[in-house]
Amino acid sequence: MSLLKKLSRARWLSSLIFLIVLFTITGLVNPTFFTYSNILSAFNSSVVFTLLAVGISFVIMTGEIDVSIGATMGLAAAIAGTIAQRGGSVVEMLIYAVLLGLVVGAINGVGVAIIKVPSLIFTLGIMGIVRGFVYVYSDGRTVENFAGAFTNLGSKELFADITVYYSMVIVIVLVAHILLTRTRNGKNFIAVGDNIGGATLIGIPVVWTKISAYMLCGVFAAVAGVAFASKYGQVNIVAGSGYEMSAIAACVLGGVSLSGGLGSALGAAIGAVIMSSISRMLVFIGLSSDYDNTIKGIMLITIVVADALMHTRSVEKARRARLAARASNHNSAEVGSSDEE
Amino acid sequence: MAKGDNKKQLLRVEKIYKSFGSNLVLQGIDMELNEGEVLALIGGNGAGKSTLMKIIMGIYQSDKGDIYVNNKHVHLAKASSALAAGIYMVPQEPMLFPNMTVEENITMGFKGKQSELRNKIIELMSSIGWELDLDRNASSLSIAEQTLVEIIRGLLREAKILILDEPTSALTFDEVESFFKVVKDLRDKGIGIIYITHRLPEVFEIGTHVSIMCDGVITLNGPVSEFNREMLIQGLLPSNMEHKEKIDITVEAIDYKNVKPVFELKDFSGYGFNNISFNVYPGEILGLAGVVGAGRTELVRTIFGCDRTLSGTVILDGKDITGLKTNAVLKAGINLVPEDRHNHGLFKISSVCENITASMLDRKETGGLLLDKKVEQDIANKYVNDFRIKVTCNEQLAGSLSGGNQQKVVIGKSLSTKPKLVILDEPTRGIDAAARMDVYRIIHKLRSQGVAILLISSDLEEIVELADRSITVFNGSINAEFTREESIMDNLTKASFGIYKGKEANQ
Amino acid sequence: MKNSYKENIKKIVTRWEFVLFMVLVAEFVIFGAVNFQKFMRITSIFSSINNYISICIISLFVTFVMITGGIDIQASSIVGLTSIIIGVLWSDAGLNIWVAVLMAIVTAGLCGALSGFLVAYCNVQPMVVTLGGSFLFSGLALLISGFSETPAFKGISGFPGKNEAGEFIAFRALGKFKLFDVIPIQIIIYVLLIALCYWLLHRSKYGRKVFLVGVNRQAAEYSGINAKWIIMSTYILTGIGAAIAGVLLTANVNSAKYNLGSTFTLSIITAVVLGGTLSTGGKGSIIGTALAAIAICILRYGLPLCFGVSTQNLDLPIGIMLVLVVSARELAANQRVSTFFRGLLKRS
Repeated sequence: MSLLKKLSRARWLSSLIFLIVLFTITGLVNPTFFTYSNILSAFNSSVVFTLLAVGISFVIMTGEIDVSIGATMGLAAAIAGTIAQRGGSVVEMLIYAVLLGLVVGAINGVGVAIIKVPSLIFTLGIMGIVRGFVYVYSDGRTVENFAGAFTNLGSKELFADITVYYSMVIVIVLVAHILLTRTRNGKNFIAVGDNIGGATLIGIPVVWTKISAYMLCGVFAAVAGVAFASKYGQVNIVAGSGYEMSAIAACVLGGVSLSGGLGSALGAAIGAVIMSSISRMLVFIGLSSDYDNTIKGIMLITIVVADALMHTRSVEKARRARLAARASNHNSAEVGSSDEE
Repeated sequence: MAKGDNKKQLLRVEKIYKSFGSNLVLQGIDMELNEGEVLALIGGNGAGKSTLMKIIMGIYQSDKGDIYVNNKHVHLAKASSALAAGIYMVPQEPMLFPNMTVEENITMGFKGKQSELRNKIIELMSSIGWELDLDRNASSLSIAEQTLVEIIRGLLREAKILILDEPTSALTFDEVESFFKVVKDLRDKGIGIIYITHRLPEVFEIGTHVSIMCDGVITLNGPVSEFNREMLIQGLLPSNMEHKEKIDITVEAIDYKNVKPVFELKDFSGYGFNNISFNVYPGEILGLAGVVGAGRTELVRTIFGCDRTLSGTVILDGKDITGLKTNAVLKAGINLVPEDRHNHGLFKISSVCENITASMLDRKETGGLLLDKKVEQDIANKYVNDFRIKVTCNEQLAGSLSGGNQQKVVIGKSLSTKPKLVILDEPTRGIDAAARMDVYRIIHKLRSQGVAILLISSDLEEIVELADRSITVFNGSINAEFTREESIMDNLTKASFGIYKGKEANQ
Repeated sequence: MKNSYKENIKKIVTRWEFVLFMVLVAEFVIFGAVNFQKFMRITSIFSSINNYISICIISLFVTFVMITGGIDIQASSIVGLTSIIIGVLWSDAGLNIWVAVLMAIVTAGLCGALSGFLVAYCNVQPMVVTLGGSFLFSGLALLISGFSETPAFKGISGFPGKNEAGEFIAFRALGKFKLFDVIPIQIIIYVLLIALCYWLLHRSKYGRKVFLVGVNRQAAEYSGINAKWIIMSTYILTGIGAAIAGVLLTANVNSAKYNLGSTFTLSIITAVVLGGTLSTGGKGSIIGTALAAIAICILRYGLPLCFGVSTQNLDLPIGIMLVLVVSARELAANQRVSTFFRGLLKRS
């Protein structure tokens, strides 16, 4: 298929265009927005959200959901924080984060794919449990006073004003996107969400695919926690609360359908940039950050309704065309062999 | 009869047993399939055939029994093992990925370079003579095209054993023809095919061998040349029934001259049908015959308010009810027993009582704001007793009833509103013979009470037996009309397939 | 005669509501055993339920939504919206307090109607719509608080209802009145709402339609039920329920704040699911939801009191309860698992 045709099917492209439109509107209202560093900071500041959104997009693509990622992120951030307090290395934090993400993800995966509890409910319970662990782990206190270099570690700029962290995120997102769309196992995620019966029939290991989606999601959320700790320099006990909702919203804005089988990691990343830069853009327009949630809500609802209406329209059109074709087919003559004896 | 010595045995299953809970579905199945054979597998509606196929495909595991592929014993624990053994199943409902292109659908799960695979697919399609745009979204394909895509998938995997589960059930007439050509080609290439169908003519058209499955066992088996239609029908009946019982009810003829029609359809057009006109008289059973896909279900759904009317008029008892929504149509006096009782007719996790009264919730009889539970029980009891529905109590969940009893519940629901016209869409599909008799009795009782009945059935014998008059629908239009005497198998069959030459329908 | 007695007992015992009731009894027994004096004080028990009365009330109405197979995560935002509307209308626009309350409830109903419309008539997924709604309504609440002279973080206070004798009447009475000096008015209203919702869901024709739509929407439409309206109405009910909670909360704390109730969402869903409602729709029970909500309240009260668990750490046991209960339910329904256990029991 030609490149052009492929691009026209890519849902992330519409999200990118939407982002560009938002930027443009902001710039038109307030031309001081149109500086390289302003636009770039929109991306740089979305590290945490991007990791969360891309992580959860794996799960959403398989047709499930995970509301425990905010809690996982919080716990990983708290762990990273305590390691930072005693001056430990980033590598150590990442190791713990990855382990935590794998464990939480595996539990979620087992509950949803094997025990078959509806994913919203199960991950809801896990969220409560992990939140509880955050409290126990941090003794109910904010984790702060990180030793030296950890805070804002990632804000050092690497090149072209892109920070260290965001350049890592870019690499991660591109790798994830390529793996999802080009490798055989990567395509399984979307296949499971698109038609689970069909996926089983052609031999895709559905249960393992779902479990691995949750494990990846957990790892991404935990790594996001490390980034979070580094970004803010402190981790309070409710860190990450509500982030899961923003991550889901980011996915939806990025073209990832909540019913599964549609969307990409790239889209989720773009949606995350949209979510995290709304408030900044509103400031430039002259609206206080009070308008954040209202704008986000309107955007989310509008996009989702438009998507649903278009989808229903096209499904209806196809059905009616099929029926009309059948009815107008007036070939009644040569049939021959289907006669009864 | 000796097996062809030069024919390789592709698949053999021995003594397969399978039960779900206390339900014994398969009770010792033996079956074999050789190269170049098309084994037509027929049997009543029940989980037997599909279950066996799913076991061969590795989706279910048998409780007992062995499977041999190419004379080697195999253990098919999951679908990928079956695929690796060269088995591929085209399911009854195509299970494509709607959001992927045709190409992506076909190559899903394959190793290898995308461009190489694409070339292979193009080669494959041209060798069979099919044209499909590889870049189309699967959701835009017709059912026939989707079936084709499923088959190409199997061919790309170089499946040696192809299972086709009722592949023509959703195809139009021409599509069936080109489909048969493909099957014959595959047969000639040496591929073994298990072909599940309900349509006896197909058995003789493309089958080389036939097996009949009944109540979990194979009752008849052998090359097609050794059978004729009567023998097949015999093999399909449950073992304690020699022939179909005839209903022993004296049927009063209808005096059409002195009766006005209670239901009139004039030039009615919608999605899937064009310019349909007919009348139904009180106390009459009008049979609506045709093949699957002729447009009958679409017609009655549109009458019932579930789809948009394009043109024409619908008149019930003198009142114009064209284009009204379902609720209004119900109130006017029509009710419908839908074709798909599982998805459209039954509330499976609700009780029998709740099911039967579901259409009555807007009526005064069942109470004002509050639901009068006593009245509800009375209504439910009436139908449970009248229809002889076997329940342990009225609170039993409808989903746990047998197929026949479920259908009676749905019929009870439709009759509870005391309609002037009852539309029955495939009322005896998938139910046992005893329940079928009960349903026929119910229909006859309605008839004697002066209710007008529109009966849609793909079982032409049913129409022959019940209908006072019959009409055949072909490709969305009426092509023939018959009186009771003219409603015979021969006429109906020919008309359903569009080859009836003779009396045309009175427009 | 004796047989049917036994059968009746069996019918009651195998119901989920009975299990919940036993859980509640167990809580009382265990907590009472550990610290009888402090736990068994009726005023404390009532006030513990009162603390989470919003969750209790809203979960009653979310039951309707979940029975139709949907979900509502915007209710908690509507609580704050209701509260701030009352505050702004009364304090800055000078309207009568009861008019303000009425307008707030109507607004909440409209919010529910918007989401309900999108779910029922536009076929949008409930999760996403109410997610967007939660952003939108909490955002609107914040914006509306900007209309007031009082800064948002402070909250509008000084509501009418305190007479010279220092007693609470009228509006403030909604927050502070206690029947017989013991039963808080919120509990009374809650009990009335339980009765109302029970009647609505389990006894009225509307409730029957709600169930049928949830069991099989298409079959319901074939039966002449206006499924779209039924689905939309459940969201309107939740909106109104959230508004009632908002009114009570505002009266109780004497403060109208935009972010009242923002952390309730997940507790609400937990109460409904624990109460026996299937998230796939078609099954649910008001009594179950009420018992589950009360059980959670008692748990939140008893654990800190008797076992020294910190109040902020209560998510852990509740999360565990949720996970265990739903997993057990799924496993019990799974044929392979139940035949396995039955085999075990036969052997032992």
